[in-house]
Amino acid sequence: MIDLSSTPILIIILLGTVGLSIPVLDAIKKEKGKKKNKLFSGITFGTLIVAILIIIFRVIGGEPLPSMSFGPDVLVDDMFGSFFAITLLIVSIMVSASSWNYMRGIVNPASYYSLILLSTIGMVLIAYSTDFVMLFIAWELMSIPTYALAAYAKRDPISNEAAIKYFMFGALSSAILVLAIGLVYGVTGTTNIGESILILANNNLQSQSNQLIGGFIPISYLAIGLFVAGFGFKMGLVPFHMWLPDTYEGAPTTIGALLAAGTKKAGFAAAIRVVVIGMFVLSPDWSIVLAILAIITMTVGNLAALLQKSVPRIMAYSSIAQAGYILIGLAVAPYAAMGLEGSLFHILNHAVMKSVAFIAIAAFAIGIAGYSLDRYVGLGKRMPITAIAFTISLLALAGVPPLNGFWSKLVIFESAIDSGSVISWGPYLAIAGLLNSALSLGYYMWIIRKMYLDESKDTSRIKEPKIILCVLLFGMIFMVGFGIWHAPLLEFASISVPTQFDQILPTLEASLK
Amino acid sequence: MTELINYLTVSLILVGIGVYGLIVKRNAIRMIFAIEIIANAANLNLIAFSRYLGDIQGQVFALFAIAIAAAEVAVGLAIVVIAYRLYKEIDVEEYRSMRG
Repeated sequence: MIDLSSTPILIIILLGTVGLSIPVLDAIKKEKGKKKNKLFSGITFGTLIVAILIIIFRVIGGEPLPSMSFGPDVLVDDMFGSFFAITLLIVSIMVSASSWNYMRGIVNPASYYSLILLSTIGMVLIAYSTDFVMLFIAWELMSIPTYALAAYAKRDPISNEAAIKYFMFGALSSAILVLAIGLVYGVTGTTNIGESILILANNNLQSQSNQLIGGFIPISYLAIGLFVAGFGFKMGLVPFHMWLPDTYEGAPTTIGALLAAGTKKAGFAAAIRVVVIGMFVLSPDWSIVLAILAIITMTVGNLAALLQKSVPRIMAYSSIAQAGYILIGLAVAPYAAMGLEGSLFHILNHAVMKSVAFIAIAAFAIGIAGYSLDRYVGLGKRMPITAIAFTISLLALAGVPPLNGFWSKLVIFESAIDSGSVISWGPYLAIAGLLNSALSLGYYMWIIRKMYLDESKDTSRIKEPKIILCVLLFGMIFMVGFGIWHAPLLEFASISVPTQFDQILPTLEASLK
Repeated sequence: MTELINYLTVSLILVGIGVYGLIVKRNAIRMIFAIEIIANAANLNLIAFSRYLGDIQGQVFALFAIAIAAAEVAVGLAIVVIAYRLYKEIDVEEYRSMRG
């Protein structure tokens, strides 16, 4: 039985109650739209802050179980889940606060904020879940509200188009997930992630002698492949990325931030728990598949971003490329101690960098009513603070020292080079990553050049939305501060993942007893 | 064992039909149907395994999956209805305002 005061349950109760009571509040209150937007934005912001404080205090108090734990229950309160919960809650907080300005004129603010809260529960639960049933339900709880959010600008054809593409691929990915879970269940006879990994590992050991069990091994590989595909749709890995640029561009920009920084990271949380550990116990050699996916993802993302004209679209392709960097860490995880740690560090950094970038784009959109790169000319003088925040986030995404993006990329590339002592292809990943970082600097610099160096006819100051400025200020402090002093984040990431991969099976066995 | 394999074959055929529908058809409703067929094939898979293993967990999961798929399709159909109002068309080939 789950303890009612464990962190994930508290988060469900807190966010769920507020999320469901916001529409009720909307029906009772008879105020005008703008006031309501402010009210609900404030409530959402406050609730999420309380949620993140609960998790931070519990982490400081040392209550969560160490690194990635598995148990007989459907949810487990461990450091891995806490790390992702904090990351995802930061994103939701930034999104809900900036919606105060960006979503000022929306018709129905209650459902907008309610859906953000419900989607946040789903994202957080994915990181905590240790059972496939819970994982799938959390996955859908994250996805279904975001389909509606992507279509939120109801009269805007582009928003609708974005939502349709997102829905088609999202629904396909969840169907694939059910298929994969079905196969794992068929082979192992349980839906508990820890137990099924253990049974797969034992089967794998016995299969050398037993022909009948040996026949199940290909099915397990098929299941892992389907898991990679299912999670890959949300993570935006390259053969599964076709919906992503359209959706991030067409959806309301704050929701673009939620998708790029939030749901994508939740996909990684699920993938690390299921695919990386599962693949390791089956046969670590298969992580070369992840390595190949990583290289393709980085290269395609960066090359396609060079050709774009619309800034949200550039950011969408850049987030595909960043998924490739994160995937390097997952691919070398069984061979290098720093692999998963670097991935987690980059996940947290990328969540903040990308949400700052998207929120800055939202602020520009309020000011100049456009997303095209040609209209960004001279914005460095017209909206100075937003432009500086945007520039810092772009430089951090490119990995320029001393910003935080540099350190996480450094850890990932370092782990790829370290893995060279075990596997020959490890260092090539680091080379590919470095070349791609150089390539990505091309389009980031292009945007910065447009904002600062190109002369524009119109040089009048544009009023910058205040709440968004506060959010951007927080983001800037985060990016520069943790760029100069990155040790605490790296340490937090390192205690959230298993570093000793040969210790996983014994600990798994012990935790399920 | 043969019974299980029969069910799995049907499920595999259903997945094939679903993928075919998703690739060939361009009508939004038909595409949603194709995705639903894949999801139901997965459910059939789960139930067949559950029956074969003599374990109830798979059937419980299938029930959850069916309920969630219904919620998902409700949202999807709502989005398609709005698309119809905007474009007077539910052919996804027409939804191409974004390029690149």
